[in-house]
Amino acid sequence: MFAGTVVFALINSSILILLAIGFNLTFGISGVANFAYGALYIMSAYLSWTMLNLLHLPFWASAALSIVFTTISGAMMYRFVLLRVRGQALSEVIATFGIGLSILELFRYLGLVGFEYTLPVFWNESFMIAGAYVDIQRIIIVLIALVLVLGLWLFTHFTSTGLAFRGIAQDERTALTFGIDSDRIATLSVSFGAGLAAIAATIIIPLGSIAPDEGYDVLIKALAVCIIGGLGSTGGVIVAGVIIGFAERFTDSYIGSHWTMIVSLAAILLVLAIKPSGLFGQQKELEERI
Amino acid sequence: MERKRLIICVILAVMCAWSAAAPSVRAAEPIVIGVATSLGFLEGRESMKAVQMAVDEINAAGGVKVGAAARPFRVESIDLRDAAPGVPVPEALLGLEKIILEKKPTALMVGPFRSEALIAGMDIIAKYKVPLLGTIAMAPGSEAKIKADPQKYKYVFRTCLNAVHLVKFLAGTMGAINKQFGFNKVYVMTQDVAWARATADLVKKLYFDKSGWTVLGMESYPTGTSDFSSALMKARSQGAQVIMPVFDMPQSGTLVKQWNTMKVPTIMAGFVSPLAGSEAWKIFDGKIGGVLNTTFELGSAMAASKLPASTDFMNKYQKKYGQEIQAGHGPAPSYESVYILKEAIERAGSLESDAVVAGLEKTDRRGVMGRIRYDDGHQAVYGFDPAETSVSLVSQWTDSGKRVVVFPDSLAENMIQLPAGLKSLK
Repeated sequence: MFAGTVVFALINSSILILLAIGFNLTFGISGVANFAYGALYIMSAYLSWTMLNLLHLPFWASAALSIVFTTISGAMMYRFVLLRVRGQALSEVIATFGIGLSILELFRYLGLVGFEYTLPVFWNESFMIAGAYVDIQRIIIVLIALVLVLGLWLFTHFTSTGLAFRGIAQDERTALTFGIDSDRIATLSVSFGAGLAAIAATIIIPLGSIAPDEGYDVLIKALAVCIIGGLGSTGGVIVAGVIIGFAERFTDSYIGSHWTMIVSLAAILLVLAIKPSGLFGQQKELEERI
Repeated sequence: MERKRLIICVILAVMCAWSAAAPSVRAAEPIVIGVATSLGFLEGRESMKAVQMAVDEINAAGGVKVGAAARPFRVESIDLRDAAPGVPVPEALLGLEKIILEKKPTALMVGPFRSEALIAGMDIIAKYKVPLLGTIAMAPGSEAKIKADPQKYKYVFRTCLNAVHLVKFLAGTMGAINKQFGFNKVYVMTQDVAWARATADLVKKLYFDKSGWTVLGMESYPTGTSDFSSALMKARSQGAQVIMPVFDMPQSGTLVKQWNTMKVPTIMAGFVSPLAGSEAWKIFDGKIGGVLNTTFELGSAMAASKLPASTDFMNKYQKKYGQEIQAGHGPAPSYESVYILKEAIERAGSLESDAVVAGLEKTDRRGVMGRIRYDDGHQAVYGFDPAETSVSLVSQWTDSGKRVVVFPDSLAENMIQLPAGLKSLK
């Protein structure tokens, strides 16, 4: 039971990291808190579903096209909406939240609600790990989370665009003096964030179903992980994902499933009270204020 | 001059013919049925289609006799949206009032999804005196309200299953499992919503506690949960023989898939709404073999060969709409409700609401779900014998993707089969 709980806690942590990493990337680079993140996640899943079931494309093609489309949507959202309000935090939040709300409620209005809206698993088998049977889809989630985190680290440390990302994240004005186009990089960061949301949807949705409400849940989970880890900190996302992932599964196993939802919300409150910038956050001014 | 006279004569003749025909035109004015429900949800969508199908059949057969005249039905609808999380009850009530005022229906059908919307809406229905034949909301609170003030709330009827009768069916299924295999250790998993928790509590109180069963655990999960591993591991480690799920959220099919992939050595028997229809096999990757699932009303997503009316209904639906019914709750009672209304109007000989209500109270109809009669709380009576009452049914998914009726005995096509690797204690 304990070993099994650890295995599923690791899987849960990977899911949380996958859900949060795109939101965190966008905020860390461009400073935009993309509140349409959950809607982009769901939009990507509906796109895959539509291409798979109505256009009868193969799953891999549907998934690839939906990831590309969602990535482009993120870029367009920045160029046509966010660019005009960039730097005005409240306006950014209102704009992105408004876009997210419109997307999700449009899906609800169209009646895209029901258990038939789901995506197929990659591999329909299970095997035993530490005394518990685990389906391969969950193992794939862990592997993809590892690959993405590693890939993101390599990208931001060994590619010119990635280094430009870090430059903007560290000090935008200084980066500008080095000829880095901050608007281009910000566009890319929102776009990449959307793409990461789409990748997460492609591999996580097969465990459940596509529903507009799921978009709000994804946003809350991403926010919880990022706030606890420290907005903009990739290391923080990983640590917070592991903390919440383990706390949820152990609460579920040893206290009660109905307390699980409380865990992440209580963790946010606790971190905000003790360390407002999060475990690895760099917004020191917040701490200085209190 | 002759030509003018001829034209005048023709005009007069046409006018005479029109005025002579006018009473029958007036008599053919449609009787409006208002379908007010959450049309964006599967149960609401398919219930609406079932109402339309019954209306088309009745109209094709000559309509409804109101006194000496025959009049057709016409369906008007409104999306109450109350099934969607976050939609406040007052919004659903506004929709209910809107359709009553704008479309002037003789009766309402299907009704709100959420029982709190139905119970709150009963005052609006009482105000406008429009009979409602509900086929989705299940809490028995509406019956209590009718019994407390029958004169005011007599306009509300429920043709679908209610939570009390569902408890009876779940308890019956557990009894059959106990009788056949000797199992008596159960792990209960429910959605964290009032009706599901209340249903599970009632089964525990009225059956498990009285029949010597051990309830190893009762877990409730927030709507949207898609990882049930902890409870499944607990069920395994504590030696559960049966898992009883009570869920109506789309993600609940994941519970069954996870039960399958984690190879938990139990039989799963209860209610998981996404497993009702034939499409579930494909949607859940064929990982639902062995599960016993309750279909709330015979004919909704599942027919029984022992009651041909249910098979006919499902076949007619498939022929008309090109697809099978997938909702295990709503379509059959919605279809029946139209016929019940027709018979009530014909008994009353009038569209006056009190007379129609009196006609509805006299309902004794044999149809798709068995015999339909209403009790003093205006709830259709459900039991185990379709010759006597309306019936629900429990079917088991086979490993080849078929559903076989296993309960009640009056409809059963086969005995309950144990999933592979599980041994009977008898």
